[in-house]
Amino acid sequence: MPRSQITPLAILLIGVLILPLILSSLWVKVVTSAAIFALGAAGISVLFAQLGLINLAQIALIGVGGWVALRLNYATPLPFTVIVVIAGVATAFVGAILALPALRMRGLYLALVTLMAAGAFQILFNAFQFPNGGEGFWGVARQSAADIRRPSVAQSDVGYLRYTLVIMAAGFGLVALHRITGPGRAWAMIRQSEANAMAAGINVTFYKIWAFALSGLLAGIAGALLSGALGQLDARSFLASEGILLFALAVVGGAYSWVGAIIAGVLYKLLPALLNDWGLSADLALILFGAALLHAIMTAPRGIAGQLLGALQRKPS
Amino acid sequence: MKLTTTLLAGAAALCLASFANSAAADGHGPSCGLNTGEAATGEPIKVGGINGNAPPGDFSGGTDAAAAYFDCVNANGGINGRPIEYIVENDQWNPELAGQVAAKLVNDDGVVALVGNGSVVSMAVNANLYEEEDVMVMASGCAISECYESSNIVSTNQGPLPSGIGALTYAVEELGTKNAACIGFNIPNNGGWACDWMEDYMSSQGLTGTSILMDPTAVDLNSVYLQALSEGADTILLMLPAGPAIGLLKVAEEQGGRDLFKWVSPTPLYEPGVADVLGDYWNDNLYIHIELAPFDSDGADNQNWAAVVEAFGQDGDRRDTFSQSGYISAKFFVEALLELDTDSIDRATVSDAIRAINGAESDLLCAPYYVGDADRHMPNSTGRMVAYTGSAFEVVRDCFAIESSYFEPIRAQEAALGITQ
Repeated sequence: MPRSQITPLAILLIGVLILPLILSSLWVKVVTSAAIFALGAAGISVLFAQLGLINLAQIALIGVGGWVALRLNYATPLPFTVIVVIAGVATAFVGAILALPALRMRGLYLALVTLMAAGAFQILFNAFQFPNGGEGFWGVARQSAADIRRPSVAQSDVGYLRYTLVIMAAGFGLVALHRITGPGRAWAMIRQSEANAMAAGINVTFYKIWAFALSGLLAGIAGALLSGALGQLDARSFLASEGILLFALAVVGGAYSWVGAIIAGVLYKLLPALLNDWGLSADLALILFGAALLHAIMTAPRGIAGQLLGALQRKPS
Repeated sequence: MKLTTTLLAGAAALCLASFANSAAADGHGPSCGLNTGEAATGEPIKVGGINGNAPPGDFSGGTDAAAAYFDCVNANGGINGRPIEYIVENDQWNPELAGQVAAKLVNDDGVVALVGNGSVVSMAVNANLYEEEDVMVMASGCAISECYESSNIVSTNQGPLPSGIGALTYAVEELGTKNAACIGFNIPNNGGWACDWMEDYMSSQGLTGTSILMDPTAVDLNSVYLQALSEGADTILLMLPAGPAIGLLKVAEEQGGRDLFKWVSPTPLYEPGVADVLGDYWNDNLYIHIELAPFDSDGADNQNWAAVVEAFGQDGDRRDTFSQSGYISAKFFVEALLELDTDSIDRATVSDAIRAINGAESDLLCAPYYVGDADRHMPNSTGRMVAYTGSAFEVVRDCFAIESSYFEPIRAQEAALGITQ
């Protein structure tokens, strides 16, 4: 097995086996959140690293996944894992619809379109709220939220952390698989030149939509996992501004490697919790994120992950 | 913000104790717990508290007052010699953070109970955790359904539902209200929940009620006001935290809307500083239901609350209804703990002791307080009405029980426990 595959597997094994043993209840919850948003950040990275496309609506898509998962949880007796998969696929379709403007735009204009979409979802979430066990299509009752089923192997918070880490790793694996197979090669050509890609017989429309769908799939799975982790979702968690933040952190972490997605998840969820635990305001994290983004733009175009991996690769020689 | 109140024997405790004693000497000093004047030095008893202090609201009054009361208890003999170590966390209105800090307090710190909680999101996220771990929460500042429909949460404050319906009861009976508009946040277990039950109350009276729910992240008070005008309501019920409620009153003032409606509000508008903001325009035109005794009441407990927060509180502590409520929660909690064998104090015995509270009295409350072993708790559903007069609030109706079909299961519990509201 090549080293590039052994390292992630070893890290996953350590994460699944060791992390739950050494973390206290607080940090089990924090690391679960960080893993969930790392999966969401991986979706941003797919679009940014493979196609140079900016998607600021990833948090909105995570919200869509969460909405679908909650709706299915209350409306059907399906097992949680099946719900996670369906939420992922449904969100992939929504992601594919988002791709339609991307067929004609890129750069700033596409970013603005995705930001508008995120704003639209923010309004929808606020107007219709997340299902809490009520009747009807929207499933919102003016009452306390009903229970969420978790998978039988992940009833406890520790079990749920393991479950989340395994699904996160599977998500990263899916992205890696795309990179080294047909879609990855097609995306690389499209990124170089759409005209050349078309001339080479690549269906540019299809592969762009495919990339957005993959990004949406990861967001949807993350949203479903989040609903299981928290037991309910709140419209205030899915603001358009959070989408900008997660994109910025995906760039800071490094969009070209799964390590970057993990760094993004850690920065997004672990750093504020750490500051809070030290008795400092979690909002301080925003200042640190700003500094980190400047650092990434000026000195580390491949993000913190790029710097780390670069340092590791230089060491043996 | 994390506030860890660890009572260490030493200079700090001695200073506090001597200060408390000097305050007691002039006849207005605080009276807490065993009231011995001796600092407690035994093994600390860990107690938690979670507040929500970030936009859109500061709900820290309950934990502030509980912290002051526990400090006072620790300086006065503690729980039979054992001090209370009060660990307060802020959930910052963030559901994830709320889950994290509750897990920390309940699982990592191993608190025996939570007291003084004032938060909207934390109760919703953590109600199941409290039930699973069988830890009791004696909350003080709640505004959502989970606070009143969970087996392990009992809140001293009423929240919007009883207080709002109480205000409306007065409006219907004294002001001639026929058609009321309930303005609240579009949060299913908060504004939606309370305004739904308000509509139920109005239809039970053969009257009309409408809900106008607004997006809490994009509050547009002008459009809400215009919507209320177009609904044809004769009364506006401000089912909102103080900030947006004041904002809406300001909008109405700018548009000369005072006389177009009758204006009533649940407790949040009853704040010491509200007159500075509202001025004289609303004098005798704004009626507020208050769920605890007036701030200037002569009652012994109200005076003691003021003395405790004065002597043991911090400068920035809020002196609002949540603060009074936190004081009561902390006081009844300490009374329950003092009944226990000091060495047997753990989560199980404390949860049982809290459930055993029945008929506890305070002049801050209109009726006796109780907990009991039930799947829901709402020990405070009686209140007073005050009229805003600019310089002061004037009590226009003394203690009255609030009636709505929502209270049927609660009245049944009260009957079983021998309590009359």
